[in-house]
Amino acid sequence: MFYLSLIEHTLRLPPHILHLPVDEAIKSELETLFLDKVIAKLGLCISVYDIRSIKGGFIFPGDGASTYTVEFRLIVFRPFIGEIIVAKLKESDASGLRLSLGFFDDIYIPAHLLPTPSRFEAIPHTRNQGRWIWDFGDAEEAQSEEPRFVIDGSDPIKFRVDSVIYPSIPLEQPENSKPFAPMVITGTINYDGLGPVSWWEEAEMIQEDE
Amino acid sequence: MMSGEEEENAAELKIGEEFLKAKCLMNCEVALILEHKYEQLQQMSDDPMNQVSQVFEKSLQYVKRFSRYKNPDAVRQVREILSRYQLAEFELCVLGNLCPETVEEAIAMVPSIKTKGRAHDDDAIERMLNDLSLIKKFE
Repeated sequence: MFYLSLIEHTLRLPPHILHLPVDEAIKSELETLFLDKVIAKLGLCISVYDIRSIKGGFIFPGDGASTYTVEFRLIVFRPFIGEIIVAKLKESDASGLRLSLGFFDDIYIPAHLLPTPSRFEAIPHTRNQGRWIWDFGDAEEAQSEEPRFVIDGSDPIKFRVDSVIYPSIPLEQPENSKPFAPMVITGTINYDGLGPVSWWEEAEMIQEDE
Repeated sequence: MMSGEEEENAAELKIGEEFLKAKCLMNCEVALILEHKYEQLQQMSDDPMNQVSQVFEKSLQYVKRFSRYKNPDAVRQVREILSRYQLAEFELCVLGNLCPETVEEAIAMVPSIKTKGRAHDDDAIERMLNDLSLIKKFE
């Protein structure tokens, strides 16, 4: 979900942008500070929407730069538990799925939150890659060459947010570990209407046995 | 910081206070805002792509792709219509983003609209969805 959040922040204008008009310099500095950064509980900052007020302009002793207190609005992306979001498949392995929104891609659907029953079909000669298949319907159909409910990235996937965490920055990271993710979404697709959108377009044409 | 038992849960409308007060934006509104900003940058410089960050570009791509309404008048109407139904801001935005076609779908996507004590019976939800689908027709 996108939000317009009102923020107050005190910042220094570094000397190299002092030639710009104050509001432009401040906008530029705010963008450098906030864009594409995650602030815990606020979310991922997408864009500065507007600047509501600028106060200050004082130069503190010993400092070559002026300090301002700015009130401004940011467009942020902040998921909430229970929210339904559409995303694209980024990776698929035995532990589950990884999804992406393009601007944010730390979304994981662990194997236990896939529709039950699901099975993983590994791609031979690859390291852990493969596709997940939902074994819905009668056994013969599910085991057939072309099972109907496959997750292969060909269409967008709707998921429900199960949890959102904001891990703290680690002091040390072992070499070759995954890059630090400041916001991680765990999702589920184990409900009606969730999963690849094509699964549910067909559903209208099939008679429910229930 | 992991949340405890009282963690925010959209289904029970126990979302943290900040969510209810912050102004939520539908994907189609974000698309208009970012598009407008991109056009302003285009007017100001020869190479707007140089000025926009990756996150801006990818966000614009995402919201354009997943917006049901493109026309600014239609976007405004969506918010106006949904605002008549006593929804929380986030409920309004989820409905505006996902555009459910049936009452069952709407309740599945936003279970809080059927929480006990709220004024939304199936007829009201049906009327709301009908109003929304009319906008799509005239886009």
